[in-house]
Amino acid sequence: MSIGSIADVEFGAELDPFQPDTSIAATSAFAEAVGWGGGGRFKDHELARKEGLPGALVPGIMAMGFLTSMIHRWSPDAEVETIDTVFRAPLLADEPCLISAVVTDVDEQQGIVQLDLTVKNQKNETRVFGTANVRLPG
Amino acid sequence: MKVDIDELKSRFLNLEFDKKDFELDPEKVAIVARMSGETLPQFSDPAHPDFQAPPAFIASLAAGRHLPINFPEFGGIPMDGGKAVTCIKPVRAGRPLTGKTHLHDIYDKSGRSGRMIFLVSRMELFDENGEQVATSDSRTVIRERAS
Repeated sequence: MSIGSIADVEFGAELDPFQPDTSIAATSAFAEAVGWGGGGRFKDHELARKEGLPGALVPGIMAMGFLTSMIHRWSPDAEVETIDTVFRAPLLADEPCLISAVVTDVDEQQGIVQLDLTVKNQKNETRVFGTANVRLPG
Repeated sequence: MKVDIDELKSRFLNLEFDKKDFELDPEKVAIVARMSGETLPQFSDPAHPDFQAPPAFIASLAAGRHLPINFPEFGGIPMDGGKAVTCIKPVRAGRPLTGKTHLHDIYDKSGRSGRMIFLVSRMELFDENGEQVATSDSRTVIRERAS
């Protein structure tokens, strides 16, 4: 269900997730675009392992991007005012991840919704978590 | 030697230690949005009249130096503990931007594996008119080395 105004938001509601693209092609393109394309950390599993990593990684801020995109899919009129993400452990490229968000506060007077955010790997381990404050039309 | 958080705060908090000028490439901004799964054209299509950088791109601008040059080393390996972005006004591509960075907070947390020191560096991003458009916080975590 797409949210058009803050009156549509229910406390405790879960946002519809989508399946983010964590392929090497996507992590590589993202890393190149933000200027982090040097080395193999986000681009090549073998090179990343030579750096002592378990494999090529999804950039932490790309997880922030997945979560922001989920918010915009939930409500195309939403304005993300703040988003705070904690990088608990790495997400590996080429491995599916599950993103989720739940409404933890609705302030109709201020027009602000607070969300708790989580990114888990396929073993259901939390890799990234955080919060967002989102402004919605009244 | 145990790190004295209050002493570090008194010496380093709120002093600008880095200043950078940027001009965002619209194509790169759009790639970041699309690779993140963004569906709104104001983030993914440079031709959109309200085209702007998504929070993840703003967070990437804070890469580089997170600490003052004379900040002491604690011995542990610094880790990226996370990022936070506050959007104040749309951040436009193709326009001059200036980022000014200071240490915003220093705190510690203790757990089974010892004490962790958290350093929050904050980049305040300004447009060409000197108006603040966003802030980007970078949390660095350092495990205190046992003495």
